[in-house]
Formats: sequence, structure tokens, C-alpha cells
Amino acid sequence: MERKSKGRQKIKMMKMESESNLQVTFSKRRSGLFKKASELCTLCGVEVAIIVFSPGKKVFSFGHPSVEPIIDRFLTRNPPQINSGTLQLIEAHRNASVRELNMQLTQVTNQLEAEKKRGEELKRMRQASQAQCWWEAPIEQLGLPQLEQLKLSLQGLKKNVAKQSDRLLFQASNPPPAQFYGAGSSINQSPNPLDTNNIPYYAKNMNNVGFTGNAMPRVYNLGYGRGFF
Amino acid sequence: MARKKVNLAYITNDSVRKATFKKRKRGLLKKMRELSTLCSIQTCAIIYSPYHPEPEVWPSPLGVRSVIARFKSMPEAEQSIKMVNQESFLGQRITKAKDQLKKQQRESRELEMTQVMYKSLVGDQGLQNLGVEDLNDLGWLIEKTIEEIDERIKSLRE
Repeated sequence: MERKSKGRQKIKMMKMESESNLQVTFSKRRSGLFKKASELCTLCGVEVAIIVFSPGKKVFSFGHPSVEPIIDRFLTRNPPQINSGTLQLIEAHRNASVRELNMQLTQVTNQLEAEKKRGEELKRMRQASQAQCWWEAPIEQLGLPQLEQLKLSLQGLKKNVAKQSDRLLFQASNPPPAQFYGAGSSINQSPNPLDTNNIPYYAKNMNNVGFTGNAMPRVYNLGYGRGFF
Repeated sequence: MARKKVNLAYITNDSVRKATFKKRKRGLLKKMRELSTLCSIQTCAIIYSPYHPEPEVWPSPLGVRSVIARFKSMPEAEQSIKMVNQESFLGQRITKAKDQLKKQQRESRELEMTQVMYKSLVGDQGLQNLGVEDLNDLGWLIEKTIEEIDERIKSLRE
């Protein structure tokens, strides 16, 4: 498996040498810094302001409840205003919406994690089946005769996919007549000409190609479960 | 380091909250220091908490005043364009996470479809289980794979 980045490395605590690395580092660390500040505010109910100047002389700031009042409060050394009823109400609203947003963020993050796990699992299964079936290998690894054979099979499959798709669309616009009053027959079961026990058209031709060990099995129980959907 | 998953909500237990504050505040100031040093830039932090009468600051009261002065000397538009509060910041993070989720779902879907394609090829899966949308996606994937094969055949013949 290729590594996309170098991973965790010990870093010298001084100005970075590479200009581009410095820019990337700034971007990532600033984002992480604001995240930590946001969490501190949420978890501990404190008020924070952070100002950061970028290497490109732009300025980023984070503030909870808001940057300006905190700066002013610091400069004037005034104690916080006596909270009037209105201010308290505003603050309560704000806290409620922050709570809501945090919950939403947690939810989406959990979904993302679950989806990533699913992706890992699918990748693992793919690698396992690639070891057993030559036609599942990456295209670059296949030789010319195998490529041509695979292409033929795929073209056959494509035709059947189109057929099945047409069949479904036809059924959708021509529903079977009056089964609502029928004696217990299920609405969706119409006898299907393309049933699984037939040897698929495309796999039938494989035996003539004559590559020992390279032939794709006709109906081969690979032992995988069904029902990905 | 103990990596527990933290629930993003106000900590109601007083002593846990105080301990968390102490730890995280220290960590935050450390990150500030590192960012300043690594990127050779000016930064400042101001923290008001119920645990200290005076605000806790970084790098120093004088340093903070200097950064604030530089901040205020910039045009209003410059000051506010990258200014966020909890609501806007969390909003941005949610949007980003949603985009990543969509992307990941697309990738998973393609992986799934690839499995279906190969299973159908050897008759291990009938096409009856698939709905119209699945069949469309499957058809597209088959088409794409055939194109890749053609490319490869072409390059091998050269």
C-alpha cells in the first residue's frame, strides 16, 4: 500500500526552511489551533480570542463568543457588562445553536468514520478476490489474450444489463393487470426468463479460447455472500 | 497518551471541567507557541475563565497589545474576512465533513459496483436483484472498464 504522506515526524522547533512546507504547516496548524480553541470553549464554557497573522500577511482570528468584544474587554480592563435580560437571552440562543452545531458535527464525523471503515473492508475483499480470479486483477497486469477475453465477456454482460434495464422499465410502465383482488398471489413475482440457473451467455464462449488455467469459469461458486445492496 | 473519544458538550462535572480546562489550556498555548516559531509569525491568545480573575494571555500582556494594535491597523474588511466565531467555524467544519462523506460514499459505491460486475461476469450474481439505478451505474462501470482495456490493448500493440 502506497504511503500518501510521511506520517508523524519529529520536527525542529525553529522556523521552517522550506517555503512551501511552511505555508502548508501554517494552514494545517492554524486550522488545528482553532479546532482546539473551539473545543476548549465548548467543553469548559470559557471565552477565548485568538489572532494569527499568516506568512502572507493576512490575518485570521477566532473568538467565542466573538473576537471584538474580547479584545475590547482586554484593552479597557473593564469587567464584563452586567448581563441584562436581553443579553442573557441572546447568549442563551447562541449557546443553544452552538450545542446544535456540535451535535451535527459529531453526527457527520461518525458517519464519515463508518463510511471509511466500509471502504477499507471493501478494499480488503477486493484484494482477496484478486488473488483468486485473474480477471479481477488490475488491467496493467493482464496479457493481451486475457484482455481480449475479458473484453468479450464484459461486452456480453453489458448487453444483458441493457436488456434487464429495459425489462424493468417496461414493467414499470406496464404493470401486471388487477392483482389487487387476486387470491394471494404476490404482485411482484412474474416469471423471469433470465433466471440464475442458466449459464450466462458471455461465459459460454470461454471454453473455446483454450488457455489452460486462464479460462474464466462458467458458473463458479466463489463462495462470497450476496446482497451488497 | 490516553486517546478517549470526547463528547463535544459542556462538561457538567465541576472538577472534571476544571482539570480539563487546565490541561487543554496548556496544550492550546503550546500549539500557539509552536505555530509562531515554526512559521515565524505573530500570534496572540486571550482566555477568560471562571478560574482566573485576570485573563490568561499569550505571549504576554505587552505582546498581546502589540498584536492587537497591528490587527486594528488593518482595514475592516481584512480584519473580518477571516474572522470566525463558534457558529461560523463549526459550520465550516460540518460542510467540510459532509463533502468528505460524499466523496467517501462515491468511492465505496464504485468498489461495490466493481464487485457486482465481476460476480455477474461469472454468473455468481443474477441481475434480477438490481434496480434501474444500479443497472445504470453497472452499465457505466462496464463501459469504463472496456475503455480502459482498449487503451491498454492499444498500448501493448505499439
